[in-house]
Amino acid sequence: MALRVMVVDDALFMRNMLKDIFVRAGYEVVAEAENGETALELYHKSQPDLVTMDIVMPRKSGIEALQEIMTDDPEACVVMVSALGQDSLVLEAVEAGAKDFIVKPFKEDKVLEIVRRITGQH
Amino acid sequence: MDMSQYRELFLSETREHISNLNKLVVILEQEPDNRETIDALFREAHSIKGMAATMGYDRTAQLSHHLEDLLDGFRSTGEVPVPAIDYLLAGIDLLDGLLDDLQSNRPERAIDVFLREPLPVASVGEGVALEQSLAAADENDEGTAKGPGLASAQPAPAAEINEPAPAEDTDFFQVLVDLAEDTPASAARCILILRELEKAGDLISSKPELATLRGGAPCTRLQVWLRTSLAKGHIKEALLRVSSVASVRFIDDRRKRSERRGSDEGARTVRVRTDLLDQFVNLTGELLTRRNMLNRATLTRDWNGLNQALVQTGRLIDDLHHHVLQARLMPLENIAGRLPRIVRDLSRKTGKKVTLRLLGTDVGIDRMILEELTDPLVHLVRNAVDHGIEHEGTVTVSARREKGLILIEVADDGKGMDSAHLRRKAVERGLMTPAHADTLSDRDALMLVCLPGFSTAAEITDTSGRGVGMDVVKAAVGNLSGTLEIISTPDRGTRFQMRLPLSIAIIRILLISCGGRTLAIPLSRVLRTLDLTTGEIDNSGKQSAFRLDEESIPLYPLAEALGLTAGTAGETTWVVLTEIKGRRIGLRVDRFIGQREAFVKALGFPLNLLTGLSGATIEGDGQVVFIVDPQALFENLQLSTKP
Repeated sequence: MALRVMVVDDALFMRNMLKDIFVRAGYEVVAEAENGETALELYHKSQPDLVTMDIVMPRKSGIEALQEIMTDDPEACVVMVSALGQDSLVLEAVEAGAKDFIVKPFKEDKVLEIVRRITGQH
Repeated sequence: MDMSQYRELFLSETREHISNLNKLVVILEQEPDNRETIDALFREAHSIKGMAATMGYDRTAQLSHHLEDLLDGFRSTGEVPVPAIDYLLAGIDLLDGLLDDLQSNRPERAIDVFLREPLPVASVGEGVALEQSLAAADENDEGTAKGPGLASAQPAPAAEINEPAPAEDTDFFQVLVDLAEDTPASAARCILILRELEKAGDLISSKPELATLRGGAPCTRLQVWLRTSLAKGHIKEALLRVSSVASVRFIDDRRKRSERRGSDEGARTVRVRTDLLDQFVNLTGELLTRRNMLNRATLTRDWNGLNQALVQTGRLIDDLHHHVLQARLMPLENIAGRLPRIVRDLSRKTGKKVTLRLLGTDVGIDRMILEELTDPLVHLVRNAVDHGIEHEGTVTVSARREKGLILIEVADDGKGMDSAHLRRKAVERGLMTPAHADTLSDRDALMLVCLPGFSTAAEITDTSGRGVGMDVVKAAVGNLSGTLEIISTPDRGTRFQMRLPLSIAIIRILLISCGGRTLAIPLSRVLRTLDLTTGEIDNSGKQSAFRLDEESIPLYPLAEALGLTAGTAGETTWVVLTEIKGRRIGLRVDRFIGQREAFVKALGFPLNLLTGLSGATIEGDGQVVFIVDPQALFENLQLSTKP
């Protein structure tokens, strides 16, 4: 069964880019959200296998959303998407349970490498 | 109380005790009822126990206590059952391992498996006697559990360990993970790597520690101590899948002793006799007095007085130097102490009857040289047992002062080496042409065993081991500015002689001029010097060469190799003949200046990164003269092997 992914980012550009990458890799993008609040709501609704989560977003930040998801579902597979120079936020996210992180600008193969590693899909 | 200040002393003293234990057990094996030996063994174990307990090294203390109890039992019966020898040796090896752990700042390894092993009992009768004596001994010692039987009496201390025994095949090693350059959020990355490793096994410790990483400290290299039952290949594969991981290496627990010492600078301690320290104080006082004399003579322009003070200062400096070297001396015993055990184990394995004689082990050798010498010496002794002795014989290790050198010799009384056979083998291995082999003197033919690639897998026996070959021995001796010589007499045996300087800080050098600079080459690296006329040099091929003893020797301009501009060639070409990887080569220099003794100073960063420079020395006029190491400079060259 195809891996079910949710993409969370406030920029449509980034969402589309990630979606394209996942679709090309044969994954199913089951949901997309533009802030942490929507992300939480959709996470419970669609139960994805993997979430890519932007860190800095309006309404609810990626880290807050991550923390809430992890509380509800400690097994959740969340990969943070950060910009360069956000080391301390990335650290915070990893401590909060993020399985890995991707730093923008990213390359398609790097993204897929990380996803495959943490979902165990080789 | 802060015990850490005693750590180094504890480590070095305990190593000595362990070395003694090994030696004594080997003696005991030959004379099982030697009461004095049993007593001495008991005292050694007792000393270790006391020190380890004071230091708070629980497992080391517990194991030495266990051995002490066992020995105390033998003390009461006055005899040691045969199986106990192997048991004791295994225990000593474990102690040695514990010390390795402590030296490397690792947690002490588990000992409960050993403690649970049933104690060796030779026969029922002996066992009962032993059991009674042990029980008797226990009464005076609260630390040991009492029990009805021997086998159940001893393992009890193991119960004090609250940790489960490790699985049979767990391995303990260090993982070194390097991150790619410019890894973003490297601290977070390292935490993810630690998580990945946690899946693989028990994470003992890491550098940087998790707390440091949580603080966000950037990190490009992660060192992790891991106990695991997984294969290294598996762990490596998993780690390499983690983003930004550039390389993964494993460092084994069983590193070479010299490496461990090298990496653990803090562990370098040396014991100095107090009268020697008094001498230092006296000499320093004398030097201060001379300084005052010099001051006064300078102020009053008293040239006679100045001269006198200078002469006296020179004498005092010589004296001081002599004493400082003395302080660095350690007896050969420090490394030779391991040999009886090694020979004993080898004799057993090979079924040969070998006697080891140690002579002159009290001869003092510079501690740095001694450390570097450990592996070569062990290799030579193994070789002597393995290849020198056929069925039965004696291996003699001896040391003595010989002029300004130390001579260390490993001799066997076996059948000797056959130089004709060695020549044939060198040709078979493609190391030289038959014509070249024929030109070798018998003495040079023996040295063929030092060529890399001379020994083949078929000959690498379990005993002589892999990796360390005679080429490594020769290189190690060469690095210490020493020489290796092999003397063999048919049916009388072979002698491997290592001649080493008293100190490696002071060496003899050949001063040369090259590319407009004054440079030095250690004399130990110079086979001879030559002055050739233009006609003697063959420039027809791609590689300049000249003939010497019927051999064509390639000629390289040293200046070019060092990135300098060579001086213009005159009528005469000055050549330094040296040997790289068993091949003679000529180095062209501008001219020779002379020989002298030099105090070698190590090069600091970034000069130490330059290939081919091993150090520097300072001339009387303040000029810095670099010391060239031809071996390092030319060893990567593809040397032509055809004459």
